[in-house]
Amino acid sequence: MIKKIILGFLAFYQKFLTLLSFGSCRFYPTCSAYSIQQFETNSLFKAIYFTIIRILKCNQLFNGGLDYPKVKVNLHNIQYKKINVKYWYVPTGNKQYLIIKNWNFKK
Amino acid sequence: MNKNNNLSKQDSQKRIFIAMILSFVFFIAYDFLYIQPQQAVYDQQQAVASKTTTTGVDNKNQAPQVANSTNTNAAPVTKITQVNEIVSRITTNKNIIEIDSFGRIAQVTLLEEQYIDEDGKQIKLFASNQLRPLEVRFSNRALNEEAFKTNVVASSSSLNTKNGVQTLTLTQKMSNNTLVKTMKFYPDGHYDINVNVTNGAEFFVTPGFRPDVMADMYADHGVVLKMNDGTLTIVEDEDLDKTVNFTGVKFASAFDRYYSTILYNFKTSLAISLMPDNDDSPQVFIHAKDNIDLSGYAGPKNYRDLASLNKELTDAIEYGWFTFIAKPMFLLLQYIHDYVGNWGWTIVLVTILIKLILYPLSYKGMVSMNKLKELSPKIKEIQEKYKNDKQKSGAKMMEFYKKEGVNPMGGCLPILLQIPVFFSIYRVLLNSIELKGAEWAFWITDLAEMDPYFVLPILMGITMYVQQLITPNQMQDELQKKLFQFLPVIFTFFFLWFPAGLTLYWFINNLFTIAQQYYVNTLFAKAKVARHEDHLSHKHNKKD
Repeated sequence: MIKKIILGFLAFYQKFLTLLSFGSCRFYPTCSAYSIQQFETNSLFKAIYFTIIRILKCNQLFNGGLDYPKVKVNLHNIQYKKINVKYWYVPTGNKQYLIIKNWNFKK
Repeated sequence: MNKNNNLSKQDSQKRIFIAMILSFVFFIAYDFLYIQPQQAVYDQQQAVASKTTTTGVDNKNQAPQVANSTNTNAAPVTKITQVNEIVSRITTNKNIIEIDSFGRIAQVTLLEEQYIDEDGKQIKLFASNQLRPLEVRFSNRALNEEAFKTNVVASSSSLNTKNGVQTLTLTQKMSNNTLVKTMKFYPDGHYDINVNVTNGAEFFVTPGFRPDVMADMYADHGVVLKMNDGTLTIVEDEDLDKTVNFTGVKFASAFDRYYSTILYNFKTSLAISLMPDNDDSPQVFIHAKDNIDLSGYAGPKNYRDLASLNKELTDAIEYGWFTFIAKPMFLLLQYIHDYVGNWGWTIVLVTILIKLILYPLSYKGMVSMNKLKELSPKIKEIQEKYKNDKQKSGAKMMEFYKKEGVNPMGGCLPILLQIPVFFSIYRVLLNSIELKGAEWAFWITDLAEMDPYFVLPILMGITMYVQQLITPNQMQDELQKKLFQFLPVIFTFFFLWFPAGLTLYWFINNLFTIAQQYYVNTLFAKAKVARHEDHLSHKHNKKD
């Protein structure tokens, strides 16, 4: 519920308010995209925490660049069928995965 | 296919245009249909209020119901029908305080020359038909009724603090009880008061209903209480539906935008009740039995005036929920103002100061830009290769930047930091009496009001447009690009009604951003020329 509100706000931000700060993000994915992906894949509090950390790092004192969300999950209920992939979970060991969005994803 | 695409593009442009017109219409309508009628109603109320003065006071003098251990005292109702006369008039260096025949402060007139209304008249704090400071109400209904029929006797009809602190005694003799108010008036306009009632009566003292000089919808007005634990409780007008009790209160202040009436005691904390009036606006009643010592102040919420009484009283100046940042902002502005002497130039200096603080960041950005110049052919290559997929091109760019250890972007944090700075200046302009009627230069005579000739907002819009022109951006989405170009227009529109001080801040801020960007751009251009020559000589060498 709270996640949905936050995601709605982020979508609104990306559509309209992002013009105020266009092309200023030092990262890929941009802070707002990163935040959306965090909220869609991670737990609420972790998502909030990582979003804040990301925004604090988004200034000239840090290098920026590629910074994908990283989540720790136990994968279970694995189904073997054809699905429409939104996020690729790239394992980095220790049950952690990098979240990389599928560019060709369409709802 | 192609045709379809074109159509949808046109369509979306049309929609943007319609959306923009709609929002313009909305704001104009909002101003005319909502804000202005409110103002009109308010003005009308003012007019009605001033009429009732002459016909006499007609209000219900109800003591708040306080549940004590044995019984709940029913609130007595009394009507004052007679016109109350002034029994004593105290002149201090800062104000004239008039005491009426009920032993209340009937009116406070501010004497300092900066406190005048639009017509150049001295400001009188209180509306005629409201609860007055130092009104005493008894829990006992019969006693309360009797008290409102008994005039007080003042020890002196006229006092002047020219020769130091003056003492005034107000005595009210009822059949069984005698009420004595002993007041000390100080040259700085504040007072100490001791209220003493014989025969163990329970009573209430009030700092009065809030001043009614500037109570509009742009800033809060109501009551603020400071508690022993340092927190503030704020109850806005028309927001209180039932009586609420508090204990451990350090001060109670009833305030409008710029003025306040406060009762405080920092030695022994107070117990108070907030009782709603007919409009659900809070009225403060301080609980007392037999005897109570208080200090009071009624006047402008001027930071230095309040701090000279007690540092804690400065909390009576409240800037809404941005106080935690607006107050430091005000102190910074005040500090600089002491040297500059003009609030407009102070804002300009603070803008420059903020830019200087952020300079190390911008500098790092510029160095990065400098490095970038050597890499621009490769960047072009990437952009060319992925020009149809902006997500992919963004990712590839970032990969490239990281590899080369450069990043031309400013970052989200510096932009987000602008928001609190912006709002704190806005709140300071709105709530600080020091900035009311503060001049800058030329045509700006009041930084807290909008620019009467719309010059600053238009300058602001122009600087914003220029800034956009010289800032390189690789916006690929046509729709966003269009909106982006309209941004200066939208901003100019918004800023038309903003306080001139705020527009000034944004204008100066833009100017410096442009200067910075211009510097970076010239660096870029120089590097390009150098590279081009390098390239040519290289070619030349090859030929040879």
